[in-house]
Amino acid sequence: MTEMAILFDSSRCTGCRGCQVACKCWNDLPSEPTAENPYDSVNWDDKFTHPADLNSCTRLIMTFNDFESESSQKRVGWAFSRRACQHCTNAGCVNICPAGALRKDEDTGMVTYDQDKCIGCQNCSAACPFDVPRYEDRGGKTVINKCSGCVDRVAHGMMPACVTTCQPGALQFGERDAMIELAHERLAFLQDHGYQDACVYGESEMDGLHVIQVLKHGMDAHGAVKDPQIPAAAFLSGIMKPVTAVGAGATVLGLAAMFGLAHGYKRDTLVYNDGTGDTISLESGQVTKQGNGPDERTVVESMTENLPEKVKDKLPASLAQGKKGGDDDE
Amino acid sequence: MTTHWCDMQNTDVILNIGSNSVENHPVSSKWLHKAHDKGAKWMVVDPRYTRTAEQADIYCPIRSGTDIAFYGGLYNYIITNLIEPGLAEYTRTGKNPSNYNFEYLINYTNASYILMEEYEFDPETGLFSGWNEESESYDAHSWHYETEEEVPWDTSVTGAYNWSVAEGVPEFEKPVLTVPKKDATLQNERCVYQKFKEHYSRYDMDTVCKVCGMDKEDLELVYSTWATSCAPGKAGTILYALGQTQHTYGAQNTRAMSVLQLLSGNIGVPGGGVCALRGEPNVQGATDMGMLVNEQPAYLKWSNTTDRDTLAHWLESQTYSDGYYTNKPKFMISQLKEFYGDNATVKNDYGYDWWPKVPSHDGSDWSEMSSFEKMKEGTMKGYYAWGMNPCHSAPNTGNVRRSMAHLDWAVTIDQVITETASFWDAPDMNAEEIGTTCYFLPCALIYEKPGTILNSGRWIQWRQQAVEPWDEAKPDYEICDLLWREIVRLYKEEGGVATDPILKLKWDYYLDGKIDPRPVSWALNGYALEGSDWKSGFKSDAKGEKLTSGSINLLSGYANLAADGSTACGMWIYSGFYSNNEAPVSAESQPVYGRDNTDYGGLGLYNKWAYSWPDNRRVIYNRASADMNGQPWNKDKCLVKWDKKAKAWLTGKTADGFDNPDFVASKSATDPKTGVVTTTAIEPNNKAFFMLWEQNGRLESYGMVDGPLPEHFEPFETPMSENLLNGRLNSPCFLGRPETAGKKRKGTQYVDDSTRHATVDEYPYVATTYSVTEHWQTGAQTRACPALVEAMPGDMIEMSRELAKEKGIQTGDKIRVWNRRASVVVTAVVTPRLRPLTVNGKTQHQIGLTHHYSWSKLFGLTTHGAVNDLTPNVGDPNSQTPEYKAFLVNIEKTTV
Repeated sequence: MTEMAILFDSSRCTGCRGCQVACKCWNDLPSEPTAENPYDSVNWDDKFTHPADLNSCTRLIMTFNDFESESSQKRVGWAFSRRACQHCTNAGCVNICPAGALRKDEDTGMVTYDQDKCIGCQNCSAACPFDVPRYEDRGGKTVINKCSGCVDRVAHGMMPACVTTCQPGALQFGERDAMIELAHERLAFLQDHGYQDACVYGESEMDGLHVIQVLKHGMDAHGAVKDPQIPAAAFLSGIMKPVTAVGAGATVLGLAAMFGLAHGYKRDTLVYNDGTGDTISLESGQVTKQGNGPDERTVVESMTENLPEKVKDKLPASLAQGKKGGDDDE
Repeated sequence: MTTHWCDMQNTDVILNIGSNSVENHPVSSKWLHKAHDKGAKWMVVDPRYTRTAEQADIYCPIRSGTDIAFYGGLYNYIITNLIEPGLAEYTRTGKNPSNYNFEYLINYTNASYILMEEYEFDPETGLFSGWNEESESYDAHSWHYETEEEVPWDTSVTGAYNWSVAEGVPEFEKPVLTVPKKDATLQNERCVYQKFKEHYSRYDMDTVCKVCGMDKEDLELVYSTWATSCAPGKAGTILYALGQTQHTYGAQNTRAMSVLQLLSGNIGVPGGGVCALRGEPNVQGATDMGMLVNEQPAYLKWSNTTDRDTLAHWLESQTYSDGYYTNKPKFMISQLKEFYGDNATVKNDYGYDWWPKVPSHDGSDWSEMSSFEKMKEGTMKGYYAWGMNPCHSAPNTGNVRRSMAHLDWAVTIDQVITETASFWDAPDMNAEEIGTTCYFLPCALIYEKPGTILNSGRWIQWRQQAVEPWDEAKPDYEICDLLWREIVRLYKEEGGVATDPILKLKWDYYLDGKIDPRPVSWALNGYALEGSDWKSGFKSDAKGEKLTSGSINLLSGYANLAADGSTACGMWIYSGFYSNNEAPVSAESQPVYGRDNTDYGGLGLYNKWAYSWPDNRRVIYNRASADMNGQPWNKDKCLVKWDKKAKAWLTGKTADGFDNPDFVASKSATDPKTGVVTTTAIEPNNKAFFMLWEQNGRLESYGMVDGPLPEHFEPFETPMSENLLNGRLNSPCFLGRPETAGKKRKGTQYVDDSTRHATVDEYPYVATTYSVTEHWQTGAQTRACPALVEAMPGDMIEMSRELAKEKGIQTGDKIRVWNRRASVVVTAVVTPRLRPLTVNGKTQHQIGLTHHYSWSKLFGLTTHGAVNDLTPNVGDPNSQTPEYKAFLVNIEKTTV
């Protein structure tokens, strides 16, 4: 495998959204007004971003953030950013996917998926530090929809659709090492031009992303996630993993999916409160797992007790050595 | 533009002013980034911080409509800091200093020309000499030069103008060259330079800042950065668009940029030039093809009822006494031959009298804006809106649709039902009260037909058809053909008033029995009548290369055109673009098909990609890229060069990597006895601008109706109570200005009920309009694309945080924007990208409006009127371009 990557150079980006539209065109994604994307009522985001976020039929958006800046002659800046899957090396979504729908593309390292295998458990959403996966309604079943890295195009010698359409050359596609080199060349240029907050993003995050970004105005202005980690809650969701993992056959898998659907099973989105150690359901607001019990185990250990060993092995170091449970901690 | 897109990579200083190129001309970004990567400085002067400003190094906000004050200050800066300190030394030594190109200024511009004694400008009144109070217009006589001597045309057998007395050439009085008086030291107080210096001495930096609402530090940075482009061998480029042209003095804005580039020595050099970024892919082509009220194809003037009422008068008023336009009779007669074919003979003035004439005797205006006044008057009863959507794009669209309701019939030819096609259906119109019969003819999109397309850089290229037209849609030329044949049938069968102009016309652009763009291309390129047979009916061979019936003898270029009726050519400037006689049926075999993207010479000329009119020149005025000895100012950026040893010019005609010469590089003579043609090179001279009779660039020009030098005036609707630079608030002769009490002015009148002037006390905010990259003009195409509607879902009003706070407005709020013309509701975007300006000591807010949405039933739900309901229907007196870019409004938060 040759590790490939998309390079997004925000300093060459003109914010035209051609990539966003090319993604829709190639992937045949609709732009019909939906409840979450009611564009016909002109739902302006503060930052000029349309649609306001990724959604069931939008895998890639450009985000816009304008800000005052006393540091430059221009006294204002406008950060154009790419919001889509970053194709992690240590991809929580792939690890957590009980159905084997999400996978690493063997040729490129991109994180791609098979919608037909998706059982709609939405665990991947909880495992993504970038809040990327969205779900498309397929007649009662929801299936994942996110950037696929255009691995179908790449396999046929083409570049991802977004890259092909980029007029100013802000998007490039090539061997990951080469993209990183280009990114650093550009970083030097930007620093030379007074952009002191400029940085390269994606080189080491999540053990290396397959989207390398040059962030002209720095991580904050571009809304980049600092030190991204697989959310702790993801490891709770992983409880489902052994069940499906046991039934390695497709039949069992299908049955499990049908079981879930027939009983109206839907997993709540869980969040982990770092302060209390509680795990809370976003939907109901209820604490689903107390984090403050007198416990010799760390919170993470408690949360991950049901995870298979191979997932536990991939825990970020910061989590694996996490603090012990209980209020009296420290 | 004087250059082309790929040349932008060669520049040292980029100035975007009145343009948002990376957003609205995305291809520009590629070349601008290349220049920027190589170290060019990038500056944006604009009322708001655009997506282009984000790419730039320097940003300077400006109050909408004050560009001439900005340029005047820059002239003053260059004069004070570069010219005056070095002029005496240059005059003494003849050697350029490192920071300014005197050789260019003195030899290639009219800086040294002596103006007439009567020439004057009065800052008290804001008027130049020649103002006629009675007619409220200028007589340009006093803006001319003093004459050194008069040289008549040599029409003798050996003379250069012998062709003009040949058999078949219509008789006309030959021009006389009035050689101007000059002073190369620039010290004569009446020379252009001294008058120019005096004129702009009022434009000091403090005054400019007060007028434009600028911060002096920002302005000084912009000026000093620009000044680096004035050094010999350096280049600066100006990218402008509608932000410059859409003003009541828009043509003067454009001239102001040309003047700046002449003063900076930047015209004709690689990476220099004045770059007009055209709004649509083929708008340059539309302009070339004479889609203008005052010009027919190829920038020749339409006939009129005064100085161009006969062919002889046309030739006498239009033919220059020197320079390349001495050849205008050849272009004109050849064009008439194409219009009327065999019916055009020297005896009937080649059919000139069949041409419709602009009624110039009554001063009436027939441009787009005035059309709607004429509909109200009842003089215009029918209307074709062909490929345009004035009910959305024209200024004061409420006035437009109310005017259209007076029509007997209206035909809209477009891809979708536009606002114009459904003007009767606007929210404020009552269809029951409108008697207009409306027709809609669906037309093919560019990808649905073969033909040519032409970009801002004058590059014309042949495109193949990609898909069949949808449903009943047809290419425009086919619609035109169907209409034409029916009109001719009716005239033949029923007769009518003035049948000759219709029935004498040559209309035979058929190939294999169908209307076809290839015979049209032959006509545009030009052909010799000898060897061309249009009568037999053109049929192509099996390979699609040669003709098996009919024949065509294509010319290799416009140098072969004649004024004696032996050649025909519809479009002299394109001549040469379709000139391969080996395979006239095959567009793929023609220069216009060029798809070789080799960068010969490394300057991005791409000489074999597409065809660049005229004569495949990539950078026009390229003679100015070299010094008086023909050596390039910058040896690494060479377009043309005089080879001293060989005594010949190195150009694209003789060697790869050079540009075709935009000057006379050689002359040919035929020995009358032997018939042998000898060509000799012309040694380097100062004739760098040979499309003007003086052959030097004009800092001062008598060619404009509203003044010989750009002078600052306020927009029709201004927040100012006085003009800080002269005693007159508005331009004295803008189109649509109110009539002075007690005076009867000639021409089309706009009543106040039409223009509805708004004043600052009631409408305190300066508004400007603009486009976003996601949409294209009135959205007829882009609002049909859901993904684009989703990407930019409606019109917005952008405003500063300060103004929003004052008015209690937040992003997403619905805002009513109104003035005396209309009221519309749009969505607020509150942003630091717009900031309040301090104009003459007072805080002035500016707001920005996009104008892509309206009521027609495309994607995206909008029930409000078009934003252009708000813009004033007044405009520039030279170009008749409306003033969309600066007007007054009030705003409030609304719940509607």
